[in-house]
Amino acid sequence: MTPPLVMHGVGKRFRRRWALRDCTLAIPERAIVGLAGPNGAGKSTLLGLTVGLFAPTEGRIDVLGRDPRRRQDVLADVGYVARDAPLYRTFTVRDTIEFARATNPGWDESIASEFLTRLSADDRVSTLSAGERARLALAVALGKRPALLLLDEPFARLDPLAAREFLQLLMDGVSELEATVVIASHVVADIERVSDHIVLLSEGHVRLEGSVEELLSSHRLLTGAARPLGRIPGVQEIVRERHSGRQMTLLARLNGRVVDPSWSVDEIGLEDLLLAYMAPERLPGPTAPEKGRLRWHG
Amino acid sequence: MAWVTWRQHRHQLLIGLALIVGLALAALITGLPMRTAYQREALSSCLPPTARSGCDIIVRHFQSEFGSRVDIARYLILLPALVGMFVGAPLLARELEQGTHRFAWTQSVTRRRWLLTKTLLLALAVTLSALVLSAIVMWWRQPFDGLEGRMSPSGFEIQGLVVPAYAVFALALGVLAGAALRRSLAAISLTLVAFVAVRLAVAKLLRPRYDSPEHETMAGLVPGAHARDWVLSNSLVDAVGRQISAGREDLAILHAQQARIDPQEYLLSLGWRRALSFQPAEQFWTFQAIEAGIFFAFAAALLVTTVWLLQRSPS
Repeated sequence: MTPPLVMHGVGKRFRRRWALRDCTLAIPERAIVGLAGPNGAGKSTLLGLTVGLFAPTEGRIDVLGRDPRRRQDVLADVGYVARDAPLYRTFTVRDTIEFARATNPGWDESIASEFLTRLSADDRVSTLSAGERARLALAVALGKRPALLLLDEPFARLDPLAAREFLQLLMDGVSELEATVVIASHVVADIERVSDHIVLLSEGHVRLEGSVEELLSSHRLLTGAARPLGRIPGVQEIVRERHSGRQMTLLARLNGRVVDPSWSVDEIGLEDLLLAYMAPERLPGPTAPEKGRLRWHG
Repeated sequence: MAWVTWRQHRHQLLIGLALIVGLALAALITGLPMRTAYQREALSSCLPPTARSGCDIIVRHFQSEFGSRVDIARYLILLPALVGMFVGAPLLARELEQGTHRFAWTQSVTRRRWLLTKTLLLALAVTLSALVLSAIVMWWRQPFDGLEGRMSPSGFEIQGLVVPAYAVFALALGVLAGAALRRSLAAISLTLVAFVAVRLAVAKLLRPRYDSPEHETMAGLVPGAHARDWVLSNSLVDAVGRQISAGREDLAILHAQQARIDPQEYLLSLGWRRALSFQPAEQFWTFQAIEAGIFFAFAAALLVTTVWLLQRSPS
């Protein structure tokens, strides 16, 4: 099967600023993709390009085998919830569902209704809580029975409890539909739990892409005495280095085994890995030695 | 999509309906006395070109009694602009302003179909309402149209086929302004300015040329025979047809007054005559059809531009 979302050298410029550049990726079918990156990294732009809200300045996009700009009908198979889940504020819940039915020929009432059990049909959208609103928007997106579901910062306004509940609903719906999902979030912890594939953006570029399994197995923390760094056998790239006293810790991408006994080699968690990649290129100057768990984002 | 259009624009439709009912009532209340007076004073026998004696007094009395109402009715030319400003301009601008286009345009219905369906359904509603309104005005102005005609702009522009054409044009103009400016308030302002500019330009520059005007040269004052025509120019010419400037005319009249001669007779004695160019009243429906055609064509061009703009720079 062809990947549901493919990008080749995609760039998008708004006026003079490039929001996304040289973006090449292929999302495998039925993956749950965490689209990570700090604010302004280009996550919303990437999703907007995928649903044809923007035209790419350069490059080629392929959504379910079609160009979303030329073939807008591809949107029948793509569910999209934009940031802050925009809905018509004056509509009631019933109106919103009616709108979705009217604008989607393949509308599936049964899927949507699972999300609406605790919503009153006559409530206006403007009176809903952030969590209820997110549920309603997700109901509309899933009622289309999409093959590809794109969620832009779905947790941004949810409290932790609502976020967990939302995620549960989402996962239930997705497994029923066998859809591919892309969840954009700047909060790594939110996507870490569910993602099996990661795309990490930073300053408009893809910094990291791959399955979680492959990323975790190819990265290691090396700790040892501070020293001038040369080539370390087994290390492909040093992503970050940090000094604390006489110790230094490296986050390294490996292409083999590190056999040098002067390094102690540890595994790294996904959240720490992503945060390390998201941190600015130049880390701030020496800081006091940290106690407890070593983190890579401060 | 019909449901979507209805749901999003039902308030506007209801306000429009209420407006029509209100205007119909106002027309009934102010129009019936006008018709009664018209019947009572047998004004139909005063219609040009046959005019019985005493008609000038009766007609003048009728005009002074009801003229102010007709003057007020001229403000109906603003109604199409309101359609553009409050139905057309927010159609896209509000979606873009509130970000709901990211919701509406990512459903299965394509953006082009969404825009075309909504705009065309609204255009249909606007056309029907405008036709009803136009019929009301035609009934209401009938006594006056008999006397003064409906060819000059004050009558021409608030009845007949041009009313729906103006309204649909204003609608399309508003939609395009909203797509281009993305802000309701800016789109509303631009719609008003552009609508007035285009309407004036067509009325001043194009309409007099829909057909070549008729010319007539006559002695003395402008006769009542042309009361129902649209007089485009009315000037004094000398015996060989050269135009006489207003300054010379004033001088001649002053001269006559000082010499205690009737100015009109004096002008006649100089061999000066009036040259009229006018569009005759019989051209009303032809001109209506041409002008309506022009504005419907404008509207179609604007709609095509909007679709193109939306495809090119969608958000």
